[in-house]
Amino acid sequence: MIQKQQDDGGNKKVTMKINNQEYNLVIEPHWTLRELIHDKLGLTGTKEMCDKGACGSCTVIMDGRPILSCMALAIECEGREIETVENLEVVGHPLVDAYANNHAMQCGYCTPGFVMTAKALLDKNPNPDEEDIKDALEGNICRCGTYPAHIGAVLEAGRKLEGGKK
Amino acid sequence: MDKQKLGIMEIEPLVRDRYIQDEFSIIGKRGIARMCGKEKAGGRAEYTRDVKLPGMLYCRIMPSPYAHARIKSMSTERAEALPGVRAVLRYDDPELADKPLFGLETKFNAGHLASDGQAFYHGKEELAVTQEQWKQGAGRVLDGVAWWEGHPVGVAVAADTPELAEEALSLIDIEWEELPLVLNPMEALKPGAPLAAAEINNRNNIIRKLKIEHGDVEKGFKEADKVIKFDARRRPYSVADAEPMSDVILWRGDNVEIWAHQQQAYDGKIIFGMKMGIPLNRIKLHVPYQGSQFGGGGNPMMHHTHGVHIISGILSKRTGRPVKTFYNRRDNFYNLSQDADCHTTFKVGFRNDGTITAVKIDNICAKMGQYGIDHFEENTRIPNLALNYLETNINVAPAYWFRCEQNHNALCLSIVFDHVAAELGMDPTLVALKNDGTEGRDMEYLSKFKKEHGFPDRDSLKEAIELGKKAIDWDKKWHLPGTKLLPNGKLHGIGFTWTHEWDDTRGVACAGVLMHCDGTVDILSQKSDDGLNAMTTHCQIVAEEMGLKLEDVNFRFFEEVGFQMMTPDGSCNLAVDAYVTRNAAREAKQKLLEYATTPIKLIDITYPPAFPDNYPDDLDVKDSVVYLKADPCINVPVAEIVKRATLNQGGTRAPLFTWNWHRQGRYGTEKGRHRLTRQAYFAEVEVDPGTGGVEIKKIVNINDVGKAISPETCEGQQYGGDYMGAGRAMAEEMIYDPKTGVKLNANFIDYKVFTMRDVDTTVNLLLETGMGYGPYGLNGIGEDIATVVPGVIGAAIYNAIGEWVDDHPMTPDKVLKAISKANVKRGGLK
Ligand code: FES
Ligand code: FES
Repeated sequence: MIQKQQDDGGNKKVTMKINNQEYNLVIEPHWTLRELIHDKLGLTGTKEMCDKGACGSCTVIMDGRPILSCMALAIECEGREIETVENLEVVGHPLVDAYANNHAMQCGYCTPGFVMTAKALLDKNPNPDEEDIKDALEGNICRCGTYPAHIGAVLEAGRKLEGGKK
Repeated sequence: MDKQKLGIMEIEPLVRDRYIQDEFSIIGKRGIARMCGKEKAGGRAEYTRDVKLPGMLYCRIMPSPYAHARIKSMSTERAEALPGVRAVLRYDDPELADKPLFGLETKFNAGHLASDGQAFYHGKEELAVTQEQWKQGAGRVLDGVAWWEGHPVGVAVAADTPELAEEALSLIDIEWEELPLVLNPMEALKPGAPLAAAEINNRNNIIRKLKIEHGDVEKGFKEADKVIKFDARRRPYSVADAEPMSDVILWRGDNVEIWAHQQQAYDGKIIFGMKMGIPLNRIKLHVPYQGSQFGGGGNPMMHHTHGVHIISGILSKRTGRPVKTFYNRRDNFYNLSQDADCHTTFKVGFRNDGTITAVKIDNICAKMGQYGIDHFEENTRIPNLALNYLETNINVAPAYWFRCEQNHNALCLSIVFDHVAAELGMDPTLVALKNDGTEGRDMEYLSKFKKEHGFPDRDSLKEAIELGKKAIDWDKKWHLPGTKLLPNGKLHGIGFTWTHEWDDTRGVACAGVLMHCDGTVDILSQKSDDGLNAMTTHCQIVAEEMGLKLEDVNFRFFEEVGFQMMTPDGSCNLAVDAYVTRNAAREAKQKLLEYATTPIKLIDITYPPAFPDNYPDDLDVKDSVVYLKADPCINVPVAEIVKRATLNQGGTRAPLFTWNWHRQGRYGTEKGRHRLTRQAYFAEVEVDPGTGGVEIKKIVNINDVGKAISPETCEGQQYGGDYMGAGRAMAEEMIYDPKTGVKLNANFIDYKVFTMRDVDTTVNLLLETGMGYGPYGLNGIGEDIATVVPGVIGAAIYNAIGEWVDDHPMTPDKVLKAISKANVKRGGLK
């Protein structure tokens, strides 16, 4: 271990953009992106439920695609652009209100993961139908079983986005 | 009422609202956004898992690699030498010597239950938990003996980072003595079976034995036209909750702070105080948002989850740093509540018209109290009931509540009713109506009871069935079993089941209502948030009662403020908790109106009130404005009234405060507190006769909530319960290696939690009869749905294939087997 510290154990300098801000980070090789975001940077909206790529709670958007941050190594994110759930309120994305209005959460632990998956869908297709939404969200686990409420929430946010454009 | 008869109870157990207002402006209104919604959806809601304090250490506890073993010797030297490891707590540490968890004391079994655990089952003492059962959760904090694989035992390590704590655990050298193990409750009862935990019972593996008899079953069988016998099994399944368990403890001089991921967090504090010898007023509790619980952590049988606090506490005291003890996902599967393995034999007698004359249940369960007979006692007029119940200890994690402890009880009711209907070729809704009642008495009796006690006299089950039949098109779709082949080659099935409203409309709560000098209100009480929208619900009640705008009321229940509510709320405890917010709000409104009409005298000056010539009764409040009833044009904002009452002094403190305490009924079972509301469930499935695969096309829930405060919240419990119930019915099962007892699917890939595509449609209808014991006539439903849905899916599968699959979960292999059996019986399905 002492040896490891001396040669910094393979730590690497990595630059990435998170929520439109530049970060210059020294990253230990074993950190997952979720650990970096949640544990080290304190962006705690990115939740750990399964820690195995099974639940979607840790979803963030990387270069436009929703990814499971527990399955990505932070060290491999050089030059990436990452968006976490905290950015949505900052930019005033309608999903946050739509989720509250539609009661699309109970305990709320899985919710940021659903929201980010939905955000990635709306970025590509602001006018999704019910099937599109199910296709996007079907991989996320919600132990509280909030599934039906998500459809209404995403449709409402989509309507607001579309309305904004007109 | 004679106080003597009530024992310790100071209030009438049948307390309820005699007056139910028809018109509310905020209660029961749709379209109110969830008040915690933006925080949760925007990722700003803090959970215990997210708590990070300056200088915080991370603690891991050793999960036992064996299902039954004893530590012979242990060396922690290598772990202690690892840089960054700050403290190691061993099982043989002197400070742990006097830290038995529960079962070893009768005085205090579980904080929210009773001060003497044996006392709360008034009149049904046989139902009280035994010492053996209390002990199944844990012997001692950080014991030297493991009773299940993953049991947190032996050693805990606190280090600078989570990785270091994990690495340190791998450097602990332990010599284990493996002990013989037993995993199946039936095996556990055989003579000569290995003892699952000799420390609990060194004679055999029985942790509870129960016999209940009502009437005379033998007579009931003689009176029957037909008697049937069959078996059923419910295999074990896990809470698999969302947020992995953790806590944070910070020791500050003589004071301690706890951040708890606990459903009954205050119980955890009490246990911590007792075990560490610290008075309660020196412990400060923070309860952040909870990533679901469903009873999994912190319930009375899960003492080891409270034990986590003791480990974090000792380590914090020793290191002078805050300590977070955390479970990983696998630990969570090991150590949070699961549902028991139940093996049940039924004997049922009935007449040709569907009247059930006798039910006899022989039930053997692992580790928890799921007797099987409860819903027959409380929910039916069946006069002759008998239960033989045996609870056994085995080498798997302890079991108790998982939304809720009535799972097997409800399943037994469903299975019996649906079997009887099937034997008679009768519509099961008719069989239910025929036998509806309470404690062996019929609907006429219940009707008299309702009238005598001020409840509306409505037939809840009949109304629920009518609504449900319509919603699923029952009259058109119901058919005899195994007779409907769809054009897509699948077998169509439709099922029905029912039960009563949930049990726990009793308990104790307290809360304060505090108005600031700007006229806004804080509800003061601490509780855990399990996702049941308590925040909005209680704000709705207070806003309604005080005449305030909803946005002028807030409820941040995370910090300890001296008042505690029950948790979860919404599910069942709202029937208690809502009394305190409602009553405190009513008193606060009265005070406000007194402020509005009473002059304030200060030695030589008298300040006139806002309404100098009126009495409180002349006034009312709406939309945060106080107005004269006779002339609403004369009005003053609430903020102005309170400001005046404080004379606008600089640094004014909150001028208006009330509080309320309420105890309703007592935990356990009381005679004569009959359940009045009913729940009905319908399901439609398609079964693939080639694969045994079942598609759940539709679930229809009709839940009599008495009165819905937040309809969307109630509906959330309905569809949420559908997914959980469907998962329990079809997929959820903990699998153990039969030789070693090692869990084989302690992760979210191999343990199947149902997702969005697993149920096609749910229809959620609320019935509001006002017959609940809570304020406004409400009662909880949060535990009903997930608990009862497996039964209705079983009935629908039977209706599809014409053969029972009474072995839950009903996985495709079992369904396929049943189809073959049906084919053999009928000489092939058409
Ligand atoms: S925590 Fe990453 S997918 Fe579950
Ligand atoms: S809202 Fe609780 S896990 Fe999804």
